[in-house]
Amino acid sequence: MPKRKGLVINDRQLDLCDDLLQKLKEVSGSTFLALISTSGQPITTASDEYHPETLSLASLAASSFAATQQLARILDENEFTLLFHEGRALNLHVTQVTEQVLLIVTFGRETQVGKVRLYTQRAVEVLRQIFEVDEDEETPAMDADFESSAGRAIDDLFQDA
Amino acid sequence: MPLINFAAREINYKIVYYGCGLCGKTTNIQFIHRKINPDARGKLVSIATEEERTLYFDFLPLTLGKVKGMQTRFHLYTVPGQSYYNASRKLVLQGVDGIIFVADSQITRLDENVESYLNLWDNLLGQGDDLSKLAFVIQMNKRDLTETFSVEDLNELLNHTDSPVVPASAVTGEGVFETLKIVCKQVIAKTA
Ligand SMILES: Nc1nc2c(ncn2[C@@H]2O[C@H](COP(=O)(O)OP(=O)(O)O)[C@@H](O)[C@H]2O)c(=O)[nH]1
Ligand SMILES: [Mg+2]
Repeated sequence: MPKRKGLVINDRQLDLCDDLLQKLKEVSGSTFLALISTSGQPITTASDEYHPETLSLASLAASSFAATQQLARILDENEFTLLFHEGRALNLHVTQVTEQVLLIVTFGRETQVGKVRLYTQRAVEVLRQIFEVDEDEETPAMDADFESSAGRAIDDLFQDA
Repeated sequence: MPLINFAAREINYKIVYYGCGLCGKTTNIQFIHRKINPDARGKLVSIATEEERTLYFDFLPLTLGKVKGMQTRFHLYTVPGQSYYNASRKLVLQGVDGIIFVADSQITRLDENVESYLNLWDNLLGQGDDLSKLAFVIQMNKRDLTETFSVEDLNELLNHTDSPVVPASAVTGEGVFETLKIVCKQVIAKTA
């Protein structure tokens, strides 16, 4: 039976990712960056003034990306590695980092698509290494304490109204 | 496979409402959105077709709050029920931690329930999940209607996994939070 792999991010990985996203933002001239899981959950973001709603964004970007993969299959293409939307003031760029991680980059007219693509591709190679080191590790168990505390919180939050 | 971000002290679980078209999945999520403490809920996102049927999914993030220092979230999704949307269903199932199978109790919906139930297991096996790690609850919905199967009959038909069963009426909200509560606790127990 195959294992259900969890995605676990440790301090070291998050620090490395945050540094890298910050650098990528500066050199590429992009406005907002996010790492998300392919199941639609945000991992971390980098931005200055522009703060889109990250939970919705992650869920929609992950499903759009997954849909383009299915499109590729139907068209007999091995994979589309990139999802790109061009808007009037803003462009959206989604790339696969690992099996479980995607990188979202948004940028405006201050920069060029080619520049963003080039730097993003380089960053993805580094990001891949950051995640691949630890992706095979066992998911550390949340202890029994967590389970009973969470149970109480669930009872409180989901009371019948 | 929850996303555990030890660095940011966050843990996210993904819960999917599954079931045939019009069985009440979206109604469940809308009720939760209306009734839950507004501080605990994020934005409700729906991708629907022009006829207002769910095309991809509905999405509602809920925040349980800090548990043992970990910000704990449940991300609720529904799938489109119509059989021709199987590609979208597979996408939504990626990385799922817990499933609520919503059965439509109406006698006329028997075939649709069974088809959806079989389709669920096909898709789960297809994505290579270890099913013993998956939380699973069955909700018998539309108990307020009259031309319905008994809970016992539905149980025999649809509950091959001996999973918890909750009778419900999503329009009135009966059983809605009860179902969610059970699946959330199971999700945490299964990944602990
Ligand atoms: N009588 C009754 N109607 C319901 C119940 N739950 C949902 N419905 C109705 O069934 C229809 C389809 O519900 P919806 O949530 O959109 O189904 P979905 O396709 O599973 O998302 C709507 O008209 C709902 O009002 C229920 O418990 N009782
Ligand atoms: Mg729906």
